[in-house]
Amino acid sequence: MTKEQLEIGAISKPRFEFRTFGKEFDDAAFLMSRLSVPVPEKVWERFSEEIYIVSKTNDINNTKIRDGKMDIKTFVQSVDGLEQWNPLMKGEFPMQADMLQKEVFPAFMVEMPQLTKGVYTLEEFLDIVHNHADLQAVRVEKERFGYMVNDTICEYANVWINGAMVVSVNSESTEVEDIKKTITDLKLEDAENINYLQAIKRVIGMSNKKLAN
Amino acid sequence: MVQESNPRFEFRIFGINIEKAIESLEKLTPRLQTRNMNSIYLLTAGNTKNNIKIRDGIMDIKVLEHEVDGLEQWNPYLVGEFPLKSDVIKTVVFPALGIVCPVMEREQYTLNQFLDEVISIDPDLSVAFVKKTRHGYMLNNCIAEIAEVLVNGALIYTLCVESEDAAQVLATKKMLGICSDVENVNYPLALKRIMGLSSLPKNYWDSRD
Repeated sequence: MTKEQLEIGAISKPRFEFRTFGKEFDDAAFLMSRLSVPVPEKVWERFSEEIYIVSKTNDINNTKIRDGKMDIKTFVQSVDGLEQWNPLMKGEFPMQADMLQKEVFPAFMVEMPQLTKGVYTLEEFLDIVHNHADLQAVRVEKERFGYMVNDTICEYANVWINGAMVVSVNSESTEVEDIKKTITDLKLEDAENINYLQAIKRVIGMSNKKLAN
Repeated sequence: MVQESNPRFEFRIFGINIEKAIESLEKLTPRLQTRNMNSIYLLTAGNTKNNIKIRDGIMDIKVLEHEVDGLEQWNPYLVGEFPLKSDVIKTVVFPALGIVCPVMEREQYTLNQFLDEVISIDPDLSVAFVKKTRHGYMLNNCIAEIAEVLVNGALIYTLCVESEDAAQVLATKKMLGICSDVENVNYPLALKRIMGLSSLPKNYWDSRD
């Protein structure tokens, strides 16, 4: 089988991902920078502001809003501890109540709130989330530095979750073996695979587990 | 319950980008000591007057007594050491948290029993596990502090000035170049913002630029 050549930023078949979060990954970041092939300048450093919607009852759908656009990914499978997520829905604010009712709130796996309007702006949607006991909107900022190691897309990131900072490193690819080699090369074998949803839940106290360090 | 010391007026800021105030303090006065400590904070959305924490197996509560010129005066008292009697939990801790006390099945609780059987199952309660590296200073007859704070593993910095004399705190704040419109943020509020129990400041995104 021919391996798909990964291109950063391009759409590919669903990728597997290893990601972890903690207070520092200086050694992994150094190794990542030394082992990486040159990458396009546009991914050297990227900054983004996002809002994640987390729910107490859901660990399989990851909802984020960036620049007024909503993106929900759903967990598909785990292979050798690596996670595969697929897009579930994409939408934009203002959003039809029908879409919120049929696609968005079911993804949160919480009791459906009463929707009295036909269309909702982002602020109105966030008000519903704020008033729902099982939901929380979390402000997340990311400063991401892109690399490519062993044909896997890698990243070192400073991430602010409601203003408090954690560090994240990741490796993603369609090829499980390439990610596993990268985890070894970056000396991350002992680090738990923690996705964004779990990291956010741990920081905001929705989960009592610890980050990787 | 034993009162620990005279209540001090306090001004505190939190953030990742508070470097200017930190640099000012370090330029003006030498660092006197550094201490590492772990604390567990108990938080509820509705409680803004009581700062409830456990450190080294001892619970203490600080009560917000006064606010003067944007400074806060907290009055500390000791609740007690674990194992803690259920009567104390019922009559002191839960009233301070501002929520209904659940049925207590034990006469007294160890810290782990308290966290596992009382706190973690209460949907109205949140727990922040906090690690602090606290650097102490004296400036202008005020106690000052810079600390690196890990809240459930995530980093934030804090700077604090405190004294029994409110005017002295205001003068010291000025020496550090902290403007009068900078918000005074106490520990419970900072933790609640990180954990989503309190809204972030309205200018949150702007202040991050």
